[in-house]
Amino acid sequence: MKLKRGKMLIDPPASASSDIAFILIIFFLVCAAVQPETGLSQVLPKTEEKKEQQEQSKNIEVSITPTSIVLDGSPLQLPEFTRRLNAALQKKTRETDRVVVVKSAPNTPYPIWIRVSQVIEQAGGILTLELESKRTITVE
Amino acid sequence: MKLPRKKLTASVPAFAMGDIGFLLLIFFVILARAQDDSHIQWQPAQLADLKMAAAPLASVAIDSGFKVYLDGKEISSDELAGSLTSVLGEAPAGQRNVFLKVHKEAQASHFEPVIAAISEAGGDLVHILEPEETSPKR
Repeated sequence: MKLKRGKMLIDPPASASSDIAFILIIFFLVCAAVQPETGLSQVLPKTEEKKEQQEQSKNIEVSITPTSIVLDGSPLQLPEFTRRLNAALQKKTRETDRVVVVKSAPNTPYPIWIRVSQVIEQAGGILTLELESKRTITVE
Repeated sequence: MKLPRKKLTASVPAFAMGDIGFLLLIFFVILARAQDDSHIQWQPAQLADLKMAAAPLASVAIDSGFKVYLDGKEISSDELAGSLTSVLGEAPAGQRNVFLKVHKEAQASHFEPVIAAISEAGGDLVHILEPEETSPKR
């Protein structure tokens, strides 16, 4: 013999639905706000002024312009630059020799600059920026 | 003749305490995000092989108008190093992360002084970028 089971329907109270919606909104807002960010970490030596102008280092020098990358005097495109830089840094065993001095033209776009700096880091180079310091000269 | 006034007692339902506590918690979590720079208009550059960035102590941004911001407040490049030094305080090396958010149209004359200032303050620089979209293989 089958026993009939009484149906027990429990409705959530309608007055609580606004509270539930509000909490859900805040939950998704917080989730969106704490979205993890992706990036590229960069180790830079502490800023210091170059004291001796005559002290010529044997470090690798890279100049970046909007159209080309100049490695030790030769203008290159990014794939060729990557290849040559890797080859040049492979020969360097001491950490001090792995310093790559980067000088950028003032109109160098950020995407090009960051691409070049990533190549230098991946090749094992220590990126150092060469900045021109501002000087005010009064002409009488 | 004095009419007797009925005493009305209002009690907070105990079952709502959990909800109230939860809302207060979220409220303080949002307030604690003092480094909020979500109002800054900028577009990140794209790059491949990016890593997840650890939590920063400070956030520096260069917006689409090439203005510099430290933790959401506008600042000049000259003042940046000093302000960053005080924000980073005595935090040990490796825990001095500074996020750098540069608008993709910025040029070296805009971002290099900022990088120099972060370096001067002894910050561990992290460029915030967008992962490069790879074209679908056919």
